[in-house]
Amino acid sequence: MKVDMKLQLRDVPGSLLRALEPVSVHGGNIVSVLHSREDGGRVSVQISFKIKDQSSLDLIKRELRKQNIRLSEILLEGKRYYSKKTLSFILIGHVIDTDIRGTIDKINDVGLVSDIDVIMPSPEKRSSVMMNIDIDNRKIKKLNRLINEICKEKKFLVIRSLEG
Amino acid sequence: MKLKNIKLTIIGFGEIGRGFARVLLEKKRFIEREYEVDLKVVAVCEIGGSIIDEDGIDLEKALKLAENKELRKHENWTSMKALDVIKKVKSDTVLELTPSDIKSGQPGLKHIKESLMKGMHVVTSNKAPLALKFSELQKIANSNKVKLEYEATVGGALPIINLRKHALQINKIESIHGILNGTSNYVLTKMAEEGVTMDVALKEAQEIGIAEADPGYDIKGIDTGAKVAILANSLMDMNVSFNDIEITGIKDITPEAIELAKKHNCVIKLIGDVNRLEVSPRLIPINHPLNVSGAMNAIMINADIAKNITIVGHGAGGIETASSLLSDILDIIS
Repeated sequence: MKVDMKLQLRDVPGSLLRALEPVSVHGGNIVSVLHSREDGGRVSVQISFKIKDQSSLDLIKRELRKQNIRLSEILLEGKRYYSKKTLSFILIGHVIDTDIRGTIDKINDVGLVSDIDVIMPSPEKRSSVMMNIDIDNRKIKKLNRLINEICKEKKFLVIRSLEG
Repeated sequence: MKLKNIKLTIIGFGEIGRGFARVLLEKKRFIEREYEVDLKVVAVCEIGGSIIDEDGIDLEKALKLAENKELRKHENWTSMKALDVIKKVKSDTVLELTPSDIKSGQPGLKHIKESLMKGMHVVTSNKAPLALKFSELQKIANSNKVKLEYEATVGGALPIINLRKHALQINKIESIHGILNGTSNYVLTKMAEEGVTMDVALKEAQEIGIAEADPGYDIKGIDTGAKVAILANSLMDMNVSFNDIEITGIKDITPEAIELAKKHNCVIKLIGDVNRLEVSPRLIPINHPLNVSGAMNAIMINADIAKNITIVGHGAGGIETASSLLSDILDIIS
């Protein structure tokens, strides 16, 4: 089975090797690797490989997700198998003091918080938290509804990306 | 060359009305030559009274008096209110240029209704009446066989309504996102570029004349919301009112949020999202076409055939807005 996989990697030494490892470990025969640098310290990588069956692909996916590697698209025999977006959000409010772990867990029920950046000027002031959330295209509305609920409950202001 | 006389009534002689008068004087010869019309202003209405001269008001003189707040010293000054002028002075087109009151839409709403019912075309820069009663006003215009044109209500000089009408006729508009308020864009730009707080950025905007003394309309997103309602009706055939728009302004945005966005190669902009009927601060990549600085406005349309089109320009200012007003007037004439 032919697989074309698009990944988003951090532009740091060794990240490409780490992304390729699960493919070869689970029996993938790599045909080609294309990569290009993008803004914001990221590298877009397109890997084409052959595998025995779909369960091998699921194992590769799981391994890549464990390593927090973003999968933006998978084509299996030329057909879209799995497509994802990474959406950015900024939450403004007492995000840390209102159980940030709980907030992340709730979001992870729908998508995956893959990156988080916090500025907290002082404990009594509102903090600003930027999150990147990997989300299946079909679940974007659900994610938006969830974030609205969280913001209402915890009195946050949310700043969505334009595509979010 | 025999020129056709076109009579105009101007209601509201503030920044927009005076800007229009100045541009009309400047472009008089051009309009006569190209359109074979003589645009005569027969009435100028302000709070407390009006100047009326059926042979055409000397605009230079009126402008001079208005600058010195001495309009009532004009020899043709009467205490007649705008509504009475609409009823009694016959003109071809009424320019409704009074300030917007988004709660009631008045006094613009009654001026526009009365003018249309009297069989006069209306060209307006006043957002509130259209944002509140778009379909009702269009119906009145249609049943009286006159036109209601409103290019100047959205994006000042940006030709968004006419772009759709004259250049994108066969397109279905699939989405519209816009930076539709110069003051909020100026404030967010200053915060991002100079790291100042919102209060400091606002004070600066007031000092250089971009923001009003009470910038609440802009900062709370109300002005953008009114424009979203107009775009939804006119470009996307939705039948909605200002009260259907969900609005979140920029007043709670922290400098830290701006800093975070910057760190991740983004900016925060107050965006009118017409599909969603929503106004809210949004994250935009720095290389996105909507990332325009200062008091500029930008509107991005996604159409089924033409795909993405972005127009950028001055969203306010008396002179700039006159470009849209005159475009509407000449459109009616042609």
